[in-house]
Amino acid sequence: MRKKAFALLLSIVLVLSIFLAGCGNDAASGDKVVIDFWANQFEETTDEWFKKWVDEYNQSQDKVEIRLQIVPGDAWAQKLKAAQAAGKAPQVYTMNYSNIAPSVAKNQLTPLDEYTDAAIWDDLLDNVEEFVTVKGEHYAYPKLVEPSAVLYYRKDYFEKAGLDPEQPPQTWDELIDYGKKLKTNNRYGLHIANNADELAWSTWGLQRNGGREAVNDEWTKATLDKHYLDLITFYQRIYAEKIAPAQALSEYTDLQDFGEGKVAMAVSGSWGIGQLRNDYPDILDNVGVAVMPSPDGDHTKPVSTLGGWTLVIDGRAENPQEAADFISWLLAGDTEIMVDFFRTSKFSKFPTRTSVEEALNEDPEGKKDEVRKLIAEKVVPNSVSEPIYPWEISFAYGSAIERAIKGQHPQKALKQAEAEINDYIKKNNLAGINPKQ
Amino acid sequence: MGKIEQTKKYDNGTAYLMLSPIVILLTSFVAVPFVYAIYISFYNWGFYQDSVFVGWRNFYLVLTDQLFWHSIVVGLKFALYVIPLQMLLSFLFAHVIRAMGRRSSGIVKTSIYIPTVISGIIASIIFGFIYHYDGGIANYLIGLIGIEKIAWLNDVSTALPSLAVPAIWLGFGISALIMLAGLLDIPDSYYEAADMEGANAFQKMIYITIPLMKNVILFLLVTGFAGALQQLELPMIMTGGGPVNATLTPNLHIFNHFRNDVEMGYTIAAALLMFVVLGSIAAFIFRILNSDKAIDG
Repeated sequence: MRKKAFALLLSIVLVLSIFLAGCGNDAASGDKVVIDFWANQFEETTDEWFKKWVDEYNQSQDKVEIRLQIVPGDAWAQKLKAAQAAGKAPQVYTMNYSNIAPSVAKNQLTPLDEYTDAAIWDDLLDNVEEFVTVKGEHYAYPKLVEPSAVLYYRKDYFEKAGLDPEQPPQTWDELIDYGKKLKTNNRYGLHIANNADELAWSTWGLQRNGGREAVNDEWTKATLDKHYLDLITFYQRIYAEKIAPAQALSEYTDLQDFGEGKVAMAVSGSWGIGQLRNDYPDILDNVGVAVMPSPDGDHTKPVSTLGGWTLVIDGRAENPQEAADFISWLLAGDTEIMVDFFRTSKFSKFPTRTSVEEALNEDPEGKKDEVRKLIAEKVVPNSVSEPIYPWEISFAYGSAIERAIKGQHPQKALKQAEAEINDYIKKNNLAGINPKQ
Repeated sequence: MGKIEQTKKYDNGTAYLMLSPIVILLTSFVAVPFVYAIYISFYNWGFYQDSVFVGWRNFYLVLTDQLFWHSIVVGLKFALYVIPLQMLLSFLFAHVIRAMGRRSSGIVKTSIYIPTVISGIIASIIFGFIYHYDGGIANYLIGLIGIEKIAWLNDVSTALPSLAVPAIWLGFGISALIMLAGLLDIPDSYYEAADMEGANAFQKMIYITIPLMKNVILFLLVTGFAGALQQLELPMIMTGGGPVNATLTPNLHIFNHFRNDVEMGYTIAAALLMFVVLGSIAAFIFRILNSDKAIDG
């Protein structure tokens, strides 16, 4: 009998624990509206900025509490998917430009116009406003833009190799030529994209250098012209000449190898200068920044995309008004909040609002920053937006470059990418669903 | 008579009671999700709009996806790199441990078990350092004997074998211990009899040890194959499936779809097909090795 009682008790405990574990704790904090806000993990300065201003917002009023959670990039997609599947997605989260249109097509976002003041949209720079608009409605408020490809180089290594440190390479041929001259036994010539993933998005600007996207506007077929072929050949040469290490020393977005002097030149996003200023202040005097070289040296054609981040409201958000109020306050309100962001990120990112740009031009630090000026004047205006067609299309082309680097003939690599893209279009019925058409 | 029946009833009640937690757990976390997964594999299932019935379309998309088949081939190749070497090493190591003294074998058993409790993520990071192109110990060592640097993780020919090394390291401890248990199970009298008949060490291994270890080997093969085919962390952290998909294991392929797709149909259909593949491989191994219960009698 005792045995049975014990067994019963044990079973009850186990069964109860299963059910209890299933229940979440939705403890409400008073009468406040609690809004979950997930932000991607970026540089430390950005994370700090989010924390600082969310705290500020929570203290500035007592109706809404924003609960910030910083989520590392590699965990982001699965964490958000899991939350969406469970119906517990955060009401506000960060999203990059290229995801907005596809998400709108799947009803994942709440349109913002109903909940915001029309004036905040007038303040946006024209080309940026286009990034967040789908069929006449605004779905995201942009925080920043950052060019995806800028050339960094070490002036002292240039001098040692007999090159003029004030004359960075302008064309692809020059870049490869300089790379060869700068290479030594313990230093590589160039840090650049290395795997299919990085190659797919970091070359978006150069892909558009000939004026064409990878697919036509109707999304019915691949349009990889000779220009796309030349780009594949360019990367093949970089690796065949061993200017860049066969296995990346650090990721495309990370300039650690450049900061440590293991490479003489680096192609990376504008955020790189922020990293160098924060982590490698000793080498700053010797760092030159230039426009990414293009096939013919013509810098008015695009070599870079304007990537960047926005805040969006989930399509199933329970408190869209409160969420929108917070976004308006943080990104579209007092210019000092955004100026603080650009200042702490060492002017490695660029504003989306006319008023913030004006404020930055008045900012004593921002005013005298030569790198900011160069990127703002020479790179940003000639950069294009990130494509909004599905990622698989970009990835097919990135894979083609990777295959060519590993030895496939560029022509063959391009043909295969073309076939893969067309197959993807057919299988997923992309024809005519371009949300911006 | 009546008394016996009563005991029977009593026993059944307790049995059901004791089974109930695991039955409930399995139902809620395995059976129900499994049936639900089969159900939604026939739908375009998204989180923000109504699901649309699409019939076999998701399965069609998976089965006509070259990358899916490619990933299965990568998984099988990976298993072939890992399993034979791991089995051989475990077998030899189990012998060494059996021949050791009680105290020293305790130390060895503990230390070879340590990798088993290290997470695949941590191992990936450690081996990422080892294979680093410029500062990694692997390239340093081959540099000492004058070989040029190798892009271990970014060369189509070396990437998958390079991932097999940490996989073997992680799995070798536990399989060596299971092998050891199998070895200790073989009665000494068999070997004594063989000694008297004048059998040499090799003959003893072929005619006594291996046949009597058959079930242990079978178990390790089936679980090893399933484990290797389902490898996710190592390629995810170390190579991301590259270069040129050379390390794209089936689970990484499915996981990529889970991460990137807006609708979950493809992911679920692929996962279900993966289940079929794993089941067939296990059935195949059982068929070949013909598990026989009575053999260690």
